[in-house]
Amino acid sequence: MTEGLNPVQQFRLKEREGRFKTPFFFLGILLLAFFIATPFLFRSFEITDVVLKIIIFAALVASYDIILGYTGIVSLGHVLYFGIGCYFVGIFMAKLGWVSYGHLALAFFIAVMISGILSVLIGFFSLRIRAIFFAMITLAFMEFAFILASQLRFITGGDDGISFKLPGILSLDYSLGRFLGIDFTGRMIGYYLILLICLILFLLMLRFVNSPLGRVLQSIRDNEQRSIAIGYKTYIYQVIASTFASCVAAITGGCFAIWVRYVSPDSSLSVPIMLDVLLMVIVGGMGTLYGGIFGASFLMVTRAFLPKIQGLVASLLPGFPFAIRLSERWLLYFGLLFILIVYFFPKGIVGTAQDIFSRRRNSPH
Amino acid sequence: MTPSLKRWLPTCIGVAVFLLPILLISPKTYVTLTISGLAMGMLLFLVSSGFSLIFGFLSVLNLAHGALFAWGAYIGFTAFNWINKWTGWGVSDSFVLNIAIFLLALIAAAFFVALLGIITERIVIRPVYGSHLFQIFITVGAMIVLEEMIRVVWGPDDEVMPVPLNFIGSLDLFDVVVAKYPLIAIALGLIIYIVIYLILKKTKLGMIVRAGVENPEMVQVMGHNIYRYFTGVFAVGSALAAIGGGMWATFVKSINPGMGGEVIVFALIVAIIGGLGSMTGSVVGALMVGLSYNYVAYLIPKAALGITMILLVVILLIRPTGLFPEGT
Repeated sequence: MTEGLNPVQQFRLKEREGRFKTPFFFLGILLLAFFIATPFLFRSFEITDVVLKIIIFAALVASYDIILGYTGIVSLGHVLYFGIGCYFVGIFMAKLGWVSYGHLALAFFIAVMISGILSVLIGFFSLRIRAIFFAMITLAFMEFAFILASQLRFITGGDDGISFKLPGILSLDYSLGRFLGIDFTGRMIGYYLILLICLILFLLMLRFVNSPLGRVLQSIRDNEQRSIAIGYKTYIYQVIASTFASCVAAITGGCFAIWVRYVSPDSSLSVPIMLDVLLMVIVGGMGTLYGGIFGASFLMVTRAFLPKIQGLVASLLPGFPFAIRLSERWLLYFGLLFILIVYFFPKGIVGTAQDIFSRRRNSPH
Repeated sequence: MTPSLKRWLPTCIGVAVFLLPILLISPKTYVTLTISGLAMGMLLFLVSSGFSLIFGFLSVLNLAHGALFAWGAYIGFTAFNWINKWTGWGVSDSFVLNIAIFLLALIAAAFFVALLGIITERIVIRPVYGSHLFQIFITVGAMIVLEEMIRVVWGPDDEVMPVPLNFIGSLDLFDVVVAKYPLIAIALGLIIYIVIYLILKKTKLGMIVRAGVENPEMVQVMGHNIYRYFTGVFAVGSALAAIGGGMWATFVKSINPGMGGEVIVFALIVAIIGGLGSMTGSVVGALMVGLSYNYVAYLIPKAALGITMILLVVILLIRPTGLFPEGT
């Protein structure tokens, strides 16, 4: 069977045969089962909330990973598209006067279109010059969008943001009845809907990075000069990757808005969120897609438990305001962690794990 | 577009930014706005010149620059309060004593932030020279840590920046109201620009740095330890950020730990407009941004940041490498 195929095709064939045998495949199934069972396992809104935010951010981080880990260009404004998704859902649900499924779908559609167009434009006039410009210009645009969102009070509600209601089965007062001891309210339906959307997005992204196009992107990441020499217009591929990732980010943003039913500049497109996404990508591992799940879990779970740690420090060292102040600054430790990971585990959790697995498999015993 | 038109277009835009608003604004307001625009431009120049120099010479996109700027503001704030408590120069009537305490606070800020910059460069950035990706991550990490350190040392709240007595208020020049502090900021900014320009152009050190912007390997081949110059340039860039921070804080009369984040975006835009690694580019870009921001903020308040973005996009379209791409 393998005769007459070029090395790339042979490699893909081999990979396709083995794809149901990798530990990540089983891990993925396990995780999916866990996510589906979460509302039944814990029966607490706080934990379900944390888990769903992990799911949404895992998808967002995976989309960021396509730009960063698979294409090798740095965007510092990826959260801009997340924010566009959030805001379009918010504005369409709260400001137009009608609340219907059609409007929700339209909000998603327009958010994706605008994200796509914007990222094509940004990509074309910054990647054409120098990849490093992309980082600066995306950052500038995100900051611009942040200020726009907090200033255009009549559309975006300014710093206060918009809270809104969702249509039909997604609304809070809808109930499907009880199932296994759980009230199936609009919130639960939202949970499963978002899980489904994120799963589809994730599979789509896996397909994207393993497609021939994805291979070209990885070749650009590994050696841009050589890719140019082979005859690829590299910046067009980079623009395609960043556009695809932006569209995915817009959808995850819409999902986030559906879950929290509220958008504000601080919660959807601010620099701290971008820092979170960066940290998640670094912790999880660049160029793996799965890394986002681990990175997001790490950050979200740590953040959920941080207030308890702070309370502990405050009760143990009551007379030391400096120690209490140090314990309040959790971002400081994240920053230190960030630097240490870049030094010592530049591949993150998943990358390091993959290295260990492949080393074991290739070892001669 | 013909080549000569292309060469002159940036100049035309610069002149247009400066002169077009005169059609829309009454002359007196125009002068007031121009002076505050020039002051804002000079302050932006101080931040972005360090940023631009570091990028040009070290090719490091130093996202921690904003945090160093905030450190400068906070150290200037503390130094000012200390000296004022000892001597009372800040509240004295004498203009000379006011200037003295202001300069002393700035020098303290520049000195300590330069030290901080040296530590940052040595410990954080040195191990990742050559890899753009990791440099960006590591400077983001450094930015978070430095900013959080401010919150640990000084507390997370806004503080009121003290202003020397004679810097407050405005002068009445030929019926035009001119605030005093912007004039001082413009003068100080100009002096700093001239000093840096002369050092870069007339000294051997400046020659090595300019050569390093063009081609660092070649400088190393010529027998200069480029890493020592890297540290030096980083320290100077940090000191410039600190001076900018101190002066900016006096301009807006308040400081908060996150102030660097807002300014770094302006610094980025100015550095891109001016051409990365170019001093003259920084000053021209900063003045363009400062002036256009002030004019538009007066005409259409909500569009002030928009004009900056438009300026960035237009310059990038006609001059992808900025106005002054050479390392001058």
